[in-house]
Amino acid sequence: MPDPLLARLKQLIVETLHLEDIAPSDIPDDEPLVGGGLSLDSIDALELVVRLEKEFGIKISSSEEAKSALSSVGALASFIRQRADPSRIGA
Amino acid sequence: MPETPASIRIAAAGCVTPFGNASATHAALLRGECALHALPVRGREGGDAVPLALLPGRDLDETAPPSWMAAVGALVEGLPSGDWGTPSRPVFVTGSNFGVGGLYALRRTGDPAFGVWGAPPTCTEELRRALGWGPNVSILSLACVSAHLGLLEATRLIHAGLAEEALVLSFDFLSPFVTGGFHALKILNSGFPAPYREGATGAIGLGDGAAYAVLSRDRGDWRLEGQSVFNEMHHFTSNRADGSGFSKCLDSVAGSTRGRKVWFKGHGTGTLDAGRMELDAAAKAFPEAPVVGWKGSLGHTLGSCGLVEMAVAIESIRTGSAPGTIGAGGAAMGPGVALAHFPTGPFDGVVCASNAFGGAHACLLLSHA
Amino acid sequence: MLERHIQLLVTDDAGTEAPAATRDRLKVNFPAGATRRMTTLGLLVGSTLAPLEPSEDNPIVYASGYAESCALEAFLDSFPAPSPTLFQTSIHPSAVQQFMIGRQSPVREFLPLSGSTLLAFHAVRACMLSPAPRVILCGGEEKGTWLLQHGLASDRTFAFAASLGKGRADTSLGRIVIEASDGDAALGLPAFFDMLHKRTPFDGLVAPGWRLILEWR
Repeated sequence: MPDPLLARLKQLIVETLHLEDIAPSDIPDDEPLVGGGLSLDSIDALELVVRLEKEFGIKISSSEEAKSALSSVGALASFIRQRADPSRIGA
Repeated sequence: MPETPASIRIAAAGCVTPFGNASATHAALLRGECALHALPVRGREGGDAVPLALLPGRDLDETAPPSWMAAVGALVEGLPSGDWGTPSRPVFVTGSNFGVGGLYALRRTGDPAFGVWGAPPTCTEELRRALGWGPNVSILSLACVSAHLGLLEATRLIHAGLAEEALVLSFDFLSPFVTGGFHALKILNSGFPAPYREGATGAIGLGDGAAYAVLSRDRGDWRLEGQSVFNEMHHFTSNRADGSGFSKCLDSVAGSTRGRKVWFKGHGTGTLDAGRMELDAAAKAFPEAPVVGWKGSLGHTLGSCGLVEMAVAIESIRTGSAPGTIGAGGAAMGPGVALAHFPTGPFDGVVCASNAFGGAHACLLLSHA
Repeated sequence: MLERHIQLLVTDDAGTEAPAATRDRLKVNFPAGATRRMTTLGLLVGSTLAPLEPSEDNPIVYASGYAESCALEAFLDSFPAPSPTLFQTSIHPSAVQQFMIGRQSPVREFLPLSGSTLLAFHAVRACMLSPAPRVILCGGEEKGTWLLQHGLASDRTFAFAASLGKGRADTSLGRIVIEASDGDAALGLPAFFDMLHKRTPFDGLVAPGWRLILEWR
């Protein structure tokens, strides 16, 4: 059963970072987001953090914490499940 | 090896920080005082508490004219001579943010009185008129190495015979535009800066600052013996992992220090990777040089940091005592980090370094003339 | 008298082109995916710099009065959740950095200037003062929106890049000279750009006490 949170996060990544020519389904679950095949860097990661904080009501307080949370889409989903109110995560 | 400009004299220098002028700032650093306080990142609009050092009586929120104008006016009041801004006595205004807080206020209030301060050309023109300078005022801006570029251009102009003396003015005063931006980069957070201290997380503080230097071919008690710049163009907010950018800048000046004893005033904002790389590069270029960083107290004064900290370095040599690194207590990143103040007498000079976004690096070698 | 010879020159006047059209036109000059964070000014400056192939030892002198106006506007509008990308790209001299970082191309000396009526002169003077045999002089502006309404942005979008050498070569396009002269005048960046773009010769005062000569072959 596909994980709806993973799908939502992938859509959010494509939109937030204006990834032209990349579909959400192209983003692997467990490969590094930063420095991986998407060519994202630390500024992209921080841009995602701003969007995630707004979307899920979570707080990421340092660049080191951002690095850890964004190590992959799978890691990000786990991070959000730990930190966010379930009502913000949805179905 | 790239050319470094011929040496130039510093006829006068000064700064203003939340502690006061260069002498008061130096004395406060010697006492180990910290100018940073936890303040809301967006001023009256609130937000997370982050370490900021504002001039006494100044809010983060903008006024029109800006509340920092009085401080700049007082800073330059004591300048030797006049006729600044004439063809033979040019002014170089350097900074990163100028009056950008005015744009933040403009967008929120719609009051055009804020706007004129918001862009570098219009802000500088207002400053020029207020200070009674002539039109020969140029603006250099490359983030946190801006002040160094002003010194470099002023040096070249004097040595080309196109100016008798030159004034370099550098200022950067905080606003929600700037604090909000650094907070978004997650490096300005609740942690207070601890330059060159090992840890799991790094953090910076930001501070108000302004400074000036009058350069002259043959007048003045201080000498800039070497100046160097380098731009990695690797990434906006990080450096090449091998630290080569730091070395390429420092090596140009290192030759002038062979056989001499120098101390090293580092950039040291409190971030981890850059701090380690800077220390490694300094240790290679200037073995046995004690390293100090003062941003753990003053905060990072951004575009003005090169000149603010040079003014404190001058005061250190003049008084015979260099303040140690504030905020780095605990496990320092390397043995070269001087945590306590030390006498400057045994040293021939100081290398002052600054680094900036885009992997920009700058340094200068300062000595008594 | 201080003189340099114009070895190469690239100019781009975006005129009334909409930013989206400028992006579509220029993104072919960059690797796929490289332009998603670039500003209009970054695309223009980068496109004019690229044919000059700046190397580490060629100082770059960059002139822009208002720099990244659109990124500034968008950053201000992103509060209370400020965008780190827009913060970064709004800081002068981001346009050149966007291009050079994209190429991973270090440069020893980078001198970004701002200003208004004396900006062109100060930028040319900085080139003349450099000891390097070859200096890159570049610059530009991008048209603002609400900042322009307040007189705090450019009303034009353009960019230029010129490679300036110390000696004349058979392929030199022209020469640029500044010399001391009595009198007072000013030359803004847009007017200087127009001279370069149209290859217009010029001989006149451009700053208090300074005359500029621009000759074309």
